[in-house]
Amino acid sequence: MKMAVLATLIAGLVSVQSILLPHMMVWGVMPDIGLIAVCLVGLFGGELEGLLLGLALGWIMSLFSAADLATSMMTKGAVGYVAGLAGRHVVYLAPAVFVLGILAISCVAGLVTAALLNLSDQQDWWWAVRAVVAPQAVMDAVAGGALYWLLWSRLNIERWVSEYRT
Amino acid sequence: MRMVNFRLPYNTGRIALVLAAVLLVGFLLLPSQLQGVFQEVGSPIGWVLSWPLRAAASVQEGIADFWGGFVALRGVAEENKELRKELEHLKGQNSQLREAAVATERLTALLEFKTRAELSMVAAQVIGRDTGNWYRTIILNKGESDGFKSDMGVITSAGVVGRIVKTTAATSVVLLVTDPNNAIAGLVQRTRDEGIVEGTTQGMARLKYIPLLSNARPGDRVVTSGLVGGFPRGLAIGTITRINKDEEALFQFAELTPDVDVGRVEEVLVIQSPNVQAEGEQLGVPAVRPKS
Repeated sequence: MKMAVLATLIAGLVSVQSILLPHMMVWGVMPDIGLIAVCLVGLFGGELEGLLLGLALGWIMSLFSAADLATSMMTKGAVGYVAGLAGRHVVYLAPAVFVLGILAISCVAGLVTAALLNLSDQQDWWWAVRAVVAPQAVMDAVAGGALYWLLWSRLNIERWVSEYRT
Repeated sequence: MRMVNFRLPYNTGRIALVLAAVLLVGFLLLPSQLQGVFQEVGSPIGWVLSWPLRAAASVQEGIADFWGGFVALRGVAEENKELRKELEHLKGQNSQLREAAVATERLTALLEFKTRAELSMVAAQVIGRDTGNWYRTIILNKGESDGFKSDMGVITSAGVVGRIVKTTAATSVVLLVTDPNNAIAGLVQRTRDEGIVEGTTQGMARLKYIPLLSNARPGDRVVTSGLVGGFPRGLAIGTITRINKDEEALFQFAELTPDVDVGRVEEVLVIQSPNVQAEGEQLGVPAVRPKS
């Protein structure tokens, strides 16, 4: 059951990321919903669930991208693990804090990716920050915040999380 | 309400953590070998995932068709008028080109070209775009099972689109000509100066390493040189819009507008056997033999 849910989640995320989101680009950048999903699963599921989903999603998303497989896997895996560690020590998470958290995690993940990818000489650090890392972090924060608000207000996430943790 | 329990048992969790650590060390010590293994293992997964991707692409195409057919009808009459004018112009141009083609055939025969290398091409459909923001790529609905391999050239009737950089059993990732990480051997058609075409961060392209004494100028067309990569000689890449000459530089470079609008490309041809053609063959259009 769990495998089926995760496989469906991954297939859905890859389809949305590669087909739907390119039509919604702002300044040539789209949000990384894989990163948001990994954060949410890590936060509410635990560090190992976040780590495993991050590794799997990073691997499969890299199959549909020119990006380096190891960079994608390790970055998303680390994000899931860190989100899980954070979730373990947090009792109440306000939406504003979640948005800021996503912003920070996306910035760090973007900078690490920029450092690890073998980009061309035109794509220096300043370009990476200005053209990809900062806009993507803002979009991740907005999209993540909207998703969190939806889960919070419509799906009663507090009860879900407390049941899950006990 | 019954909830799905995602939490892993303690032992499984510990094993997963150890595996993640081993992976990390593996990627640090044997990066290319381990990536090769994951790419191989991921190939059937890519085949499975290509089905939801194709389904989503079909839905998106259906919506786009609906939009194009019913909502965006405004201005069609005016556009129709413009297109009729253009058609008349193209008819005239076409007859001139037919004459040129006949002349080229005659010249080719005169020069005793024994064989004309035919390009083996396979048509493929674009089903998606890069899942990240770092590269400009498109995803095709065909992969290893159709004979696609890395470094194969991808074109449309208008010119070069890019080259394949990654494949799974049923999909391929094409790095576009406008990506700064792409490099294609090109030459200025008029002056015969060779260089390397790469993308720019602005989504255009540029030709590097043009000799300082070259008299290439804006408006000159740039085509593939066929020296390296998956392209034969003579395929259109773009048109020079500006020449940049830095003082004390050993070379100059030219900014190009690609002939193919890579943002709107829907179907492409993948070159499976880029036989290098003889020098004289650049006079004609390369023979094309689409398989499907």
